[in-house]
Parts: sequence; C-alpha cells; structure tokens
Amino acid sequence: MHISDGVLSFSVIVAGWAIALALNAVILWSCKCKHNMAEEIPKISIMTGAFFVASLVHVSIGPTSVHLLLNGLLGVVLGIMAFPAMLVGLTLQSFLFQHGGITTIGINNVMMGVPALLAYATFRFGYRKGINPSLLGALCGSLGIFLSGILLALMLISTGEEFREIAYVVIMAHVPVMFIEGVITGSVVTFLLKVRPELLPLDKGDMR
Amino acid sequence: MDSLKIIRILVLVSVALTLLMPAVSAHRVYVQERITEVEVKAWFGGGDPMANADVIIYTIKNGVEELYIEDTTDSDGVYYFTPKIGVSEYRVVVSESGHKNEKTFSLTGDAVSEPEEAELPLATRIGAGFGYILGIAGIALYLSSRKSKSE
Repeated sequence: MHISDGVLSFSVIVAGWAIALALNAVILWSCKCKHNMAEEIPKISIMTGAFFVASLVHVSIGPTSVHLLLNGLLGVVLGIMAFPAMLVGLTLQSFLFQHGGITTIGINNVMMGVPALLAYATFRFGYRKGINPSLLGALCGSLGIFLSGILLALMLISTGEEFREIAYVVIMAHVPVMFIEGVITGSVVTFLLKVRPELLPLDKGDMR
Repeated sequence: MDSLKIIRILVLVSVALTLLMPAVSAHRVYVQERITEVEVKAWFGGGDPMANADVIIYTIKNGVEELYIEDTTDSDGVYYFTPKIGVSEYRVVVSESGHKNEKTFSLTGDAVSEPEEAELPLATRIGAGFGYILGIAGIALYLSSRKSKSE
C-alpha cells in the first residue's frame, strides 16, 4: 500500500508532508501537555516495532501483492500517538526495506495515520456505547485498512485519470487484508481487556 | 624429351604451391554481435513477482531518451523485448498499483547503471529497525524523565 517515489504529482507530495508534519506537531504537543508520557513510551515502541515488520508479511492476491498494515490496530491501542509512531515506522521501512519512497513518507503517513485516528475515534465511541469490544476491535482493524485503501485510491485518481482502474484493483486487493487485520485487532483488544485493560487508550470515564 | 621434363617440373611446382597455399583465403571478414532479446524481471520485496505490471522502455541515444515500448509483464513478472538496432542504452520503468521502480542499463556492459547496492540481509535490516526504535524510545524516555525531574 506504500506509495513509491515518482508516482504522485509534486503538489500532492507537498500537501502530504504539510498535513503529516502539522498533525504530528499538534499530537506531540498535546500529549506533552496532557500527562506523563514515560509510561506510554514502551507501549508505543512495541507497537511501532510491530508496524515496522508487519509490512514484511505478504499476501499474494491475483496479480498484486499486498501486505499487512496494522494501522487500525495501532489506532486502537495507541490512540492519537499512532500517528507519530507511524512516521517513525514508515521512515525505517522506506530506508531499510525500500517500502515506499522517501519523498512520500509524508503522504504515506497521512494515508495510514488518518484512518488510524478515525479507527481510534470509532473504538472509543463504540466502547462508550457498550458494543462488544472484540467485535468493535475487529471492525476498527478492518476500518483502518478500508479507509487507507480509499485514500490511496483518491490520491491515485487525483494524480491522473489513468490510475482509475488501478485504484479499483487496489481497493479490491485489500479486502482479504481487511479480514486478516480485523481478526488480529479483535484478538489483541480481547486479550488486552482481559489482561491489562489500562493499556488501551481509554479514559477512566470510558471504563465499565 | 626436354619439353616433357619441363612439363613434369611445372606439374611438381603447381602441386607444391597448391599444398603450400594457406587454408584461409584473404577475404576481409566482418563479425558483429547483436543481442536479440533482453529479459526484464520485476518482483516485490519478499520475492513475489510483479505480474501484469506496466513496463515502459525508453531508448537512450546520446543522452536523449525516447519512448520505445509500452507493454505489461507476464504472470512471472518477466518481460522480453528486442533491442533497437544501434541503441545499447535503455531505461526500463516497471509499475503496478502505485509500486514503481526503474533501471537504466547498457547492453554493452559498460557501467552506465548505478552500482548495485550492497543489500544487507533481511534479518539484519529488521534488527537495525528495532535498534532505531529502541534508540528513539530511549531518547523519549530520557526527555520525559528530565521533564519530570525538573517539575
């Protein structure tokens, strides 16, 4: 799902960097003001590590090759910190695995991070409404991939009409990934709620 | 009698000359090699072939690029093309669903393309990535502990 160098137009790449850096700055600033981050850092590091290697797990589907993204999982487990965690993970992926370009780290961060934030919002909202957390986790895991696929398709189409067909293929190819990540995220949420519910980014008021 | 002797000598000389004649005649020979087919293979990191990917081949002559072929790879991510006569430098761009890479190469084997990157084994790269994450976590922990001390 990573976008390589030289695919998108210059303006899309610049916009991607601008949005990514602005969002990262806002998130880091708000976290700094809020509470003690020292307890959060080990959890963030572990999830960044998982995100970093997840892209190596390939699923071959027809003509294309897709890989796990885990952006929904990061959103659900890390909350808003998923966004800066992905920036680190994507930078390492592009330099060490040549997954995605270096100029496109910004746009990739937006493409995967914004769905992660939305997955987090959905998870919190659903949890307060009292929806079964396992089901909710699975839904949010799939949602992350689904929204990323939609964003990728929009970016490809905005670059050129000739990408329209590719955009549809991309979305279809990610349907199996949505299922896999739904299962992963649902299991992780179930496990964490049983073992260490305080690890999930839910406020005291959310807890039942 | 004399004429018979002369004829005998002539025959002997002609036989000797025939035997001494070099095996190769002195016609000038031209040899020119031509590569009739170039194989292009594209695959994703991890080894999956890029099947049905778009292939665009440009010829490069005296530094000027020109579009030569537009086609797609087969199911094994392989594409064969016949080089243009007189052109030995090519740039091949392979792209599929937003994944894209390119390579410039020369059929004469001159070092036109960028040198092959010495790639670390995958396990080493994974280890390096975790090392970086650990380092960043350490810096973040240090900063947050300094902050809590100063408070």
